[in-house]
Amino acid sequence: MMAGVIDSISVIIAFFACMFAIAGTLSLFRFPDCYTRLQASSLASSTAPFTIFLLSLLNAADMASAFRILLIMVFFLVSSPTTTHIISRYAWFYGIIPWIKSGEKP
Amino acid sequence: MKEQIFYITSWIFIICIGLAIIRLVLGPRGADRLTALAVISSLILALLVLYGTQEGRLLYLDVALLYDVFGFLGILAIARFFRDRESRDRSL
Repeated sequence: MMAGVIDSISVIIAFFACMFAIAGTLSLFRFPDCYTRLQASSLASSTAPFTIFLLSLLNAADMASAFRILLIMVFFLVSSPTTTHIISRYAWFYGIIPWIKSGEKP
Repeated sequence: MKEQIFYITSWIFIICIGLAIIRLVLGPRGADRLTALAVISSLILALLVLYGTQEGRLLYLDVALLYDVFGFLGILAIARFFRDRESRDRSL
C-alpha cells in the first residue's frame, strides 16, 4: 500500500521534472536576448534540480542520505539565485542592452 | 517501476545537457555561454543526486555537494575574469 503510493507520487514528480528540464532547455534557443534567456532557463537551472531533490528525498534509502540531500537542497537554495544574479550583473555592466520588441518605445 | 522512472528521467536530462552544450558552443556573447554553463552544472548536479539515490551509495551525494560548491565558484570566477579582461581592454 505504502510503496504503491510512493511510486505513484514519484511518477508525477518525475514527469514534472522532465517537463521543467525540457522547457528550460528549449528556452535557451527560443528567446532573443541573454536576459530573457537567463530568466526562462532558470526553469531548468533551479526548478528541475529542486524537483529531482524532492524525488530523491522521497526515495531515500536511509537517514544518512536523506540528511545529505537536505544539505544539498539548503545550499542549492542559496547558490542558484546568486549565480543568476552574478550572470545578469556581469551582462549589465558589460553593456548589453535589453531586447525590445521592434516598434515599441523603450 | 522505480528503476524505469529513474532511467527515463536521467536520459531526458542527458539529452537536455547535450542541447545546452550546443548553446554553450554557439552563444554569441559571454553572458549566453555563462547561462548555458549554469544550466549544465545544475542538470549534472541533479543527475548525480538521482544516480546516488538509485544506487543507494552515499559517495555520489558527497560528490554532488562538492560539485554544487565548485559549480557556483566556477561561474563566479569566470564572470570575474571576463569583467577584468573587459576593463583592461577598455583602459588600453
